[in-house]
Amino acid sequence: MSPWEYFISIFVNVLLWIYDVVGHNFGLAIILFTILIRIVTWPLNAQQMKGAAAMQDLQNDKDWQAIQKKYAKDREKLAQEQMRVYREKGINPFGSCLPTLIQFPIIIALYQSIIRALASTPLDLLKLSRTISLPNVSDLIPLNSHFLWMDLGRPESVPFLGFAIPTLAVIVALTTYVQAKLTMPATTTPGDQSAAMSGMMSIYMPLLLGYFALTFASGLSIYFITSNILGIVQYAMRGKANWRSLIPGGLKNK
Amino acid sequence: MRKKLIIVTMILFGAVFLSACAGGAVRGTSWPGLAADGQTAYLADGSFIYAVDVSNGTELWRYPGSRNGKLTFYSTPAITPDGLVIVGSAGTDHSLIALNPADISPDTKAPVEAWKFSGAKDHWVAAPLVLNNKLFAVNSDGNLYILDLQDGQSVKEATVVKLNGRLWAQPTTDGERVYVTSLDHSVFAVNAETYDVVWHKDLGGAVPGSAVLDADGMLYVGSLASKLEKFDPATGNHQSVLDAENWIWSTPSLDGDTLYFGDVDGNFYSFNTSSGKLNWKPVKPDGPITASPLIENDHVLLATESGSIFAVGNDGKVLWTEEIGGKIYTTPVAAGDLTIVAPLETDFYLAALDANGRQVWTFTPKN
Repeated sequence: MSPWEYFISIFVNVLLWIYDVVGHNFGLAIILFTILIRIVTWPLNAQQMKGAAAMQDLQNDKDWQAIQKKYAKDREKLAQEQMRVYREKGINPFGSCLPTLIQFPIIIALYQSIIRALASTPLDLLKLSRTISLPNVSDLIPLNSHFLWMDLGRPESVPFLGFAIPTLAVIVALTTYVQAKLTMPATTTPGDQSAAMSGMMSIYMPLLLGYFALTFASGLSIYFITSNILGIVQYAMRGKANWRSLIPGGLKNK
Repeated sequence: MRKKLIIVTMILFGAVFLSACAGGAVRGTSWPGLAADGQTAYLADGSFIYAVDVSNGTELWRYPGSRNGKLTFYSTPAITPDGLVIVGSAGTDHSLIALNPADISPDTKAPVEAWKFSGAKDHWVAAPLVLNNKLFAVNSDGNLYILDLQDGQSVKEATVVKLNGRLWAQPTTDGERVYVTSLDHSVFAVNAETYDVVWHKDLGGAVPGSAVLDADGMLYVGSLASKLEKFDPATGNHQSVLDAENWIWSTPSLDGDTLYFGDVDGNFYSFNTSSGKLNWKPVKPDGPITASPLIENDHVLLATESGSIFAVGNDGKVLWTEEIGGKIYTTPVAAGDLTIVAPLETDFYLAALDANGRQVWTFTPKN
């Protein structure tokens, strides 16, 4: 078994164990599994929050603002000076976005785990049988893929006036946007690259995850939404949530 | 600029990696479906149904003429008495299609559709059952669809019998009742005339294979509870007659009063329905068994996941072995003097073996 397969099999077994415990509800199992992942990746998230807070604090630093003004027309020198300040203050400019990117392997593993656990083809079901280490396998499978109005193994949409409305994809995009915006450093200086990068992430990530939610199994959307809501709650509990950034132009007025 | 490049690269990598996991109308979504008459083998494999000349392994036609992203095939085709080839799609288009091989379109070089049923809500895995000019077709949406074959137009008005769970195995019939197995652990008996559900029993494990009737009219079903169950077909009363080592996936094959079947641990069983005992200690060839055994004159052919075909005599002795390669999950079929095998993970899609297990030809689609 390859390391990746081993990784997937851990995910599948934990998912199925939760599924068994909660009375064969796969949607609930995904939500609880997401909470578990959030707990396991707590150090990463904490680093992300710390990095975001440090970047926000930096925007109000007088030295930082002076550098921005002084080298406003020399981008190369500005970048060098910014890196010097980052080093001096012990700030990793990637600190706030790297943990987000590290989520990708988890997302991919979770997607593969959901598809494997739901086993929509005979070959998938056979592969699933080799993955499970739980004792009462034959009782568990096949999994009940229905949760609320969704089939968790398929993309979701709600028919409305003859149109198929992808409600989960919209919620995924919205919650991802809110989460990204809350952590976005407030900037008072034009041309600040780190703020620009965070701004770009707050646009790209909702679009990308919204596209994933639109295209792939709705079980993955449940993960995205749960994860995003937990992230927002975590930020809010730290008192660091930047609610103004949700309002267009809110940061500039700070 | 470098930071932007890193982010965009990571995002694209994620998108491509995730997309690759989604699968599509390509080979390997599941194992192929295979059927044959004396002259032609019909292979449902990925994006196409292939008709292959049994005498030399050449392609006669494929359906559709060009790839259609909505269609994926791996259900076993059914051949009706009047020559139609009926196969269901496991793609996003959940249609059940009847092809007329006698009428090839000059434009697409594919057989024309005699009719198409689009009333199901999920994918088709099982071959439909033809009984008295009616088609009993089970779908993964948990419904049994009964279509009247007398009139090609009337198939659009299917009678729907709501059962439950994913239905992956071809129904079985004794003429009076139609027996349907389900992944929800159930076996259903449906009256063949009134379509009422006569009985419904839980086996404690999913049933991906079909039920089989013995000469005395008793019904046998293997399940993922690793048990072989014997049913009274009239009442549904049942009892476990054998504990297998692991899941029984395939439909048992009946030869006289002997049932042959395998399990996913790779054990091969010969069960005497008269005595209720095993004829010999299970043999264990070389890999998991999901395909049904193929009964030949004096032996049984057995396909394993390890990519081998074993000829096992009536006494349990292995007569010969042929290594095909890849993985074999699909039940081999007899076509004239040949046995046709459909492996996965090989360069070729079909292999034909003679009576001694020697390869006569292989089939690889062009393009």
